Amino acid sequence: MSLVNLAHVCSHMQNASKARLGLTSVPVSKLHVKLMLGLQREGFISSVTLGSSSPPKPFLLQSTHDPEKLEIMAKKLEAEPWLSYPVETPTGKKEPLGPEIVHTVNVPENPARRRLWLGMKYWNNEPVLKHMKLISKPTRRIWLTSEDLAKITRTRESSYVKGLTHPGECMFLTTDRGILEARDCVERKIGGMALCRVW
Amino acid sequence: MSVCRPARCLFLRTTSTTLPKPTPPNRNFSTSTPRTARRRRPHYPSIKASDLKILNEAASVQFPTYNPTESSLAAKKYTPAQLAAIKAAETVIDPRDLYTQGQDRSDPWLLPYESDLRNMDPVKDHAPKKSIEDIKGRKEFRRTNRVERDEAIARVTTENMAKFYPDGVPTGEKTSEQHQLWEEAIVASMTQAALDPRTTYWSKDPKVVEALADPEHSALLPDLPRIENRMAKMTRRLSTEEEEDPRQKRLLLYMNWDKQQLKGVRVKTLVVHGVTNQTRMGKIRSMYYLTIAGNGDGLLGVGEGKSVEPEEGRKQSVMAAIRNMRPVPRYENRTTFGDLEKKVGATVVRLYSRPPGFGLRVQHLIFELARAAGLQDLSARTPRSRNKMNVIKATWEALCNQKLPDEISRARGKKLVDVRRVYYGGSVH
Repeated sequence: MSLVNLAHVCSHMQNASKARLGLTSVPVSKLHVKLMLGLQREGFISSVTLGSSSPPKPFLLQSTHDPEKLEIMAKKLEAEPWLSYPVETPTGKKEPLGPEIVHTVNVPENPARRRLWLGMKYWNNEPVLKHMKLISKPTRRIWLTSEDLAKITRTRESSYVKGLTHPGECMFLTTDRGILEARDCVERKIGGMALCRVW
Repeated sequence: MSVCRPARCLFLRTTSTTLPKPTPPNRNFSTSTPRTARRRRPHYPSIKASDLKILNEAASVQFPTYNPTESSLAAKKYTPAQLAAIKAAETVIDPRDLYTQGQDRSDPWLLPYESDLRNMDPVKDHAPKKSIEDIKGRKEFRRTNRVERDEAIARVTTENMAKFYPDGVPTGEKTSEQHQLWEEAIVASMTQAALDPRTTYWSKDPKVVEALADPEHSALLPDLPRIENRMAKMTRRLSTEEEEDPRQKRLLLYMNWDKQQLKGVRVKTLVVHGVTNQTRMGKIRSMYYLTIAGNGDGLLGVGEGKSVEPEEGRKQSVMAAIRNMRPVPRYENRTTFGDLEKKVGATVVRLYSRPPGFGLRVQHLIFELARAAGLQDLSARTPRSRNKMNVIKATWEALCNQKLPDEISRARGKKLVDVRRVYYGGSVH
């Protein structure tokens, strides 16, 4: 678990949002993937896609159903919501609303050639993710208990970690239950190693 | 020798036992000769008969006596009393004096209008006043008893109603509008009558009571009449109104405000210094002003002004500050939404939101800004340069460009909840 690479990712995300990029890529590692999924869950980034060195096809350019067909499907679903679930048939699973259009992404066999493609978000001409900063450093890791986190999420300083004072600030920690946001950790009463703060 | 006893021996002329008699003072107190008695002026100027004749002729030509037709015309125009006064004045003033000494006034106190002083002008002339001597007889009065008061009220009400309906009270069936007017008139005249001193006091001599309500006996001057004229209306100014500033007028037009709103704006000049423009002709010195404006309720503006004339520059900055006022979002109307940071030049300003009752523990410039914006709980740091102008600008921009929670929640697609408000059940603001 290299925090050096994570530091690079943090800087890269800040630079990408400053440059107003729509899509950017970071190297793949289990930590990065989990952190990015956490960021997506918190709404900082729009998409997380595993891909090669070339960017994946944007969502808008992927093939979809016709709008008319979508409308018919929506009406059907409204009348019979259970149609959204596949039905077991002797020949296998069958989707009542027709087959799903699956967009395939080319992922290289060689893990070193894989990249994690992230969709950046902007709102009112402002990047949603503007600041991303390491808390633990490669030379000094910081573990926080749930009590510390409770203080920190209430904007107080604890264990030499400053509180989350900026509006909408989030903090990610790596715990034995995966990478979680600080408020989730407080809710589940688990501590962990602080990774980065995002706002 | 005692001081009390006079040194008599020094003044004695001869040895005598009798006291000296007081002698009349025969000393001269000065060496200059006394002034001779003033020469008496003759009662009449000594003019030669021929000169006098010429003068008489000239005077009679310049100021001729009235002929009978003129007198009869004057009698039509003036009252007998005024005519008598005119005649008396004519006899008092010698036409020869008028000829030799009379001239048109050019002093600053001359009347600025021409008038034959026949009529009272309510604007230009003082209203005639009466004194207590104008009331003949005994001037005694007392408070009315109930019966007298009721009677007086009835009388005065009738008088007042007569003013409302000078052509007599309308008879017959009244429309609803007329009826309403009638009732209003009754209420108004009753109220006036109740306030009238004639209903409160009673005297044997009715003239005394009348004098109480007479404006000529009042110490107050009557109100000036309103001139109903479009021009007068347009240019009418109250004495309390100050002089109209064209810059302020333009500002009010720009803001779509009236003057009352401008009074609620708190303005303070925070930075003043001289600046020079070096030209090939030499240095041009002018004054720079930086002013903040705020309404103390979430509006804050910063304006700059520069001019050779100090007052001009200040006004420029004030107007610019008011024009630049922008809303400052405040959490619970007291502090900022989270911590803010802004960099202008080499100045970094960090603003921290604080709990209720914390106060404005900030440096003076930020204090002024926060007070003008209506913030109450705030702390701040200026870790780097503390250039006054940049500190003010950075603070202003940080306060105005805050990220609001609902915007954040929209941007992230997450629901954000103000925990404080939920916990206290919305009882904090």
